[in-house]
Formats: sequence, structure tokens, C-alpha cells
Amino acid sequence: MDLRETTKRLINAFGVSGDEFRVAEIAADLMRPFVDRTEIDQFGNVTGYRLCGRVGAPKLLIDAHIDQIGFMVTEVTEQGFLRFVAMGVDQRMLQSLELVVLTRSGTIPGVVCAIPAHQQKSGEEKKVLGPDDLVVDLGMSGETARKTVRVGDYMVFADPAVDVQGDTLCGKAIDDRSCLVSILHALELIKGKDVNCDILALASTKEELGGHGAMGCAYTHNPDLAIALDVCHARTPDNCPADTVFEMGKGPVVVIGSNSRPRVARRVLEIARAKEIPHQVKAVPGSSGTNAWSMQLAREGVQTLILSIPVKYMHTPAEMICMKDVENTGRLLSEICLAYDAGLREGQ
Amino acid sequence: MRELLKDLCELDGVSGFEDEVCLFIKRRILPFVDHVNVDALGNLLAFKKGRKPRVRPCIVSAHMDEVGFLVKGFTDKGELTIVPVGAIDPRVVVGRRVRIGDKRIPGAIGLKAIHLTTEEERSIAPGFDQLHIDIGAPTKDDAEGLVRVADPVTFDSRFIPMGEGCVKAKALDDRAGCAVMITMLEAELEYDTWFAFTTNGEIGYRGASVVARRLDPGVCIVLDGTAAGDLPEVDPHLHGTGLRKGAALSFMDRGTIYSRRLVKSLTEAATDRGIRWQYKQMVSDLTDASTLERGASGAQTITLSVPVRNIRSASSIICLSDLDELSKLAVLAIREAGDCDV
Repeated sequence: MDLRETTKRLINAFGVSGDEFRVAEIAADLMRPFVDRTEIDQFGNVTGYRLCGRVGAPKLLIDAHIDQIGFMVTEVTEQGFLRFVAMGVDQRMLQSLELVVLTRSGTIPGVVCAIPAHQQKSGEEKKVLGPDDLVVDLGMSGETARKTVRVGDYMVFADPAVDVQGDTLCGKAIDDRSCLVSILHALELIKGKDVNCDILALASTKEELGGHGAMGCAYTHNPDLAIALDVCHARTPDNCPADTVFEMGKGPVVVIGSNSRPRVARRVLEIARAKEIPHQVKAVPGSSGTNAWSMQLAREGVQTLILSIPVKYMHTPAEMICMKDVENTGRLLSEICLAYDAGLREGQ
Repeated sequence: MRELLKDLCELDGVSGFEDEVCLFIKRRILPFVDHVNVDALGNLLAFKKGRKPRVRPCIVSAHMDEVGFLVKGFTDKGELTIVPVGAIDPRVVVGRRVRIGDKRIPGAIGLKAIHLTTEEERSIAPGFDQLHIDIGAPTKDDAEGLVRVADPVTFDSRFIPMGEGCVKAKALDDRAGCAVMITMLEAELEYDTWFAFTTNGEIGYRGASVVARRLDPGVCIVLDGTAAGDLPEVDPHLHGTGLRKGAALSFMDRGTIYSRRLVKSLTEAATDRGIRWQYKQMVSDLTDASTLERGASGAQTITLSVPVRNIRSASSIICLSDLDELSKLAVLAIREAGDCDV
């Protein structure tokens, strides 16, 4: 499997929290060669089942979310402009932003307007305008716009993925579809091998809203261990000293804390060292901001572990990830699958 | 004209680095002109005979350059610092794709994750001194091996059709003007006319001044893009121009007042012929006009524009029918300029 091309296929697709079905189809398609069967539930969560055939085998759930951040149309004006809400998007990048509007009959381009210079009152040049002060231009008359776009239609960043230097890929929705690629790579690496657990690969929905999809699936599947894969922050030039950031290219980040079971995590570090997989470590005392936070409270509680991949410029159209990190995260996951037994489960 | 406009917009030509655009236009117009040369500032000057001579030269001009950046330097970690070329609002560049230099090295102007910001931080737009281009280079050495200080940086923005008869692209200001001029050159002219594809428009319209000094024109017709502020958030009296209302013209800009005779005769003639035009209702910009006027012994000037939304950004939008009207208006202006015995 070409990891870069697979990542591009996923991140170029459109699926904002609440309507991930297009991406779910692609995820199921990608999982199929490596699992016994796939299921897509009513929300668009995709589960791939790889059963080991042993009665009473422990169940390992590995999750990445497939929803991306985006926008929603709240009004189509008489002159054909769109008013909108932005979900998870820094308002400092809005002016002149290029979007794709997901209408019922297909995708159309839109551009968030930029307020002309002669409109700027002096002293306001640095003021940031939020969604309430901006509109999306479709290049259409009001009549056509109202026939084409409806309130509730989603909008997403338009730019397709591009290769940049340093084994790096730049695009939207790297958070978190790149982590799904790591899961696929892990499944690829263990294909045909004997494991001691049932593996459930999960491509979940609505993470950006609070981990809803994964929580429901954790309830349904009731795993012995749920591993949430999500991206973390890579160092960028505009970081503050206080920001917790990691280096791209130095491997997956193993999280340790109340939401990522310390004994299990330390065992994972031992595996990483033994198998010479580059890795980094992150201390997270409370909420991890990942699906692990909601999955941990499913049913009567689920043990959770978190692995992350460092990503620059998260939640912008120009997120960046190092493909070697995607590969090494897949490798680490595959080793966890191979090692997973009662011992790892209890973190002994 | 759309294909021509697409070709023009997809060329890279930041002020001072217009070669690629100049070469394209020169090759394109060569079969249709009587004389062409490129001067010391990179201006492309073409002369085409018409059916009638003029007493003094008449120049039609548009600038070839676009806004962009130059690489200022490198950070320790291999990102690029930048300095803007032209009056770009820093608020329109965050998160944008760019390409650098002849090799068109891809990069992006990044912004750190929203999760790491405070509400206060998000209310203040970063200036160019806080913005960087990331090309993915792992180290400063890697970056220095691929790009150089002072390499030109252009927005990476595709030319795409939009909505009803509109297009989105970078550099519509002023490749739209260039497209109109090329189209005029491919047809017969009523009068002898000079066509000046100028440089350094975005940094102060300097290219045009030496053109005027060389030719000592009687009349100059400037074709440019002008900001269309016809948005719901903008008070109607501040719109300036609007899309789908036709070509725009004005009595003045911030540099000079145009020939009143020419504005009057042109608007009357345009109305007679059913050409759609609108007044530009704000005095907010400069164009080549004032530099052309003062280049030598003095010229009568007028500026004709196509309304552009999101001007000086990666995602400018025009309506193609407005550009068609500009074309018709420009041809009419050449006639109305007469023999330029001013």
C-alpha cells in the first residue's frame, strides 16, 4: 500500500462532522483487504473485524476519526452570498479563504470575501473579522444561489493535497485521516500473521464535536483496550515557549496519563525500544482532546491508550505531516497487535 | 478571452520579476505588431499601425506584475521569512499555498493550531513579520539548498470558473487588462496606437513613467483592475464598483484627474452603443495614469477598469461579461482619443 497516495485519497475527500458517509465508503474500501468483514453503521462509523478465531480472545479496538472540521451555511442572501458558521477554524485565516460548498447536486467553489482596503478605517488594519462579519461569494445571482445552495449545506477547505520537502505531505483533514492510514498500515503488516486477540479497526465520526462516534462504538464493541490515534502538535515558528510540541520525523508520540493507561503505555514504550521504532513521549494529566476521553466512559469503563502523530498547522488548509511518522506509527501499532495478550492488557 | 486570461493568470510575475509574463505576451503579439521592444525597466512596448495616423502618440497600458512576496531570510529550523511585494493585506495570506522561484517550490504560509491560541490572540491579525512560509524542509541547510534570499514568491491559486460567468484566480489585476490589450492587438485598429505592458505597477506604477518619457504621449488609456466592494457588510455608498454592472470608469483617481473631455465623450459614445458601464464611485486607488500624465510634456489620461472582488489576494473574482464590456470600451476609447492633437 502506498501510504502517501492512500493518505491523499482520504484527505482530498469531503466529510465534515455529521456527514462523513463519503469518507466512510473510502475507509471501508481501504480496510477490506486486511479484515474479515467491514460494517458501516447509521452514523457512518466503519468497523473492520479481524478475528483471531480463539474463543474468549481479548478485544483490541484501534480508532481514528474520519470527520474533518468545516463550515455550515446559515443563510443564502438575496444577492447570492452565503452566511456561515465556522467549526474549529481560526478566524484569522478567513478572509479570501477558498472553499468548496457541498450542495445536494455536487460541489461548487466559493470564496470568503476579503473586505477591500478602502473599507479599512485607520487603526483597524489588524482587526480580525469573524464569520459574522463575512460572507462567501459564489459568483452567482441570488436566484441561482438560492436554487443551488441550502441552509445546512457544509463547506470545506478547497485546496487539494500537495507534496512538499522533507517527506512531508501538506493538505486538509490530515487531522485525523492520516492516523487511519497508520491503522491500515498496521493491518497490512500483520496480514497473515497469528495474533492472540480480535482486532477491530474503527474509522469513527463526529470526533470534532466531542468524540460521539467512537463513544457509541466503544459501547457496542466493549473492547478490552481501545487505542485512540489522533494527531498532536508539531513545532512551528509561531509557537510560544509554553506550547507542548513535538518534532516531525521523530516518530509516534506515546501519551501517558489518566486517559492513556500508564502501565500499558510504558509497556508500549518498551516494545518501541525493543523493535527500534523512533518515538516520543507526552505527559497528559487530564483530557487528551481525543476519542479516548469519551471512549473511556463507555459502558462500565474502557481501558484506553493514545498514540499521536505530530502535525503542523492543525485545523488549517495547510496541515503538514511527515510520512515516515505515519509509517512508524503503523509499525508500532502492528507490534502492539502482535504483543497483545492478557499481559499487555493488564499492563504487567 | 477566457483561455488567454487563464494562461496569463497562471504565469508568475511578481513586481520586479515580470520576465515570464513579458515573454509570453511578446511571443503572442509578435505576429500582429509593427514594432516591439523591451526597455530597461522590463516594460514591453508594442506599436501597431491603424487606418489613421495620430499627431501625438496614444498609449494603452496595463501592468504585467502581480502582488506577492520576496524571501527575506531563513529561520534556524528551515522556514522562510517574507516581505510583501505590493499592498497585500496580511489577513488574506494566512493558510495560503505559495510557490517559490523558478522551480516553483511548493510551500504554505502556516498558522499554529487554534488549540494553542487564546481568544485574545485570535482577535489580532499576524503581520508579515510574524508569518512564515513552510516548504517542509527539515533544516535550514535543506531550505537554503532549494530557495534563495530574494526569490520571488507567488500565490499558488488555480484559475477556475465560478458560479455564473465568473472566474477565480490570482493576478486578475492586471492580467485582465493585459488580456484586453492582446485581444485589441489581434484586430485591426482605427488609429496608430502604442501598447505598453508595464512593470512595477503594484509598487508605485514606476514602469509607466519611463514609457511616457520615451513616447511623449498625447493621450493615455489605462486598463486596470479595481476593487469591487459590493458586499453586504459594506455600506452601499462605499461599494466603489460592483460585479455584473459592466466596465468601470471614473473622473479621477488618487493621483490625478482624468481628461473631462475624454470621460464625457466616451461615456456618451458607450451609452449610444449599448456598452454596459458604471462609474467607479470611490476615489481610492492609483493607476498608471498619473505617472503617464507627468512622464514628459503632459498627457490626457483616463482609466478604464474591470471590477475585481478580493483584489490583491490569491482568490480574486471577476465577471467575464464585465471584462467583455471593458474590451468594447477600450476599443471605443482608442477612437474617442482621436488624433491626439492636444
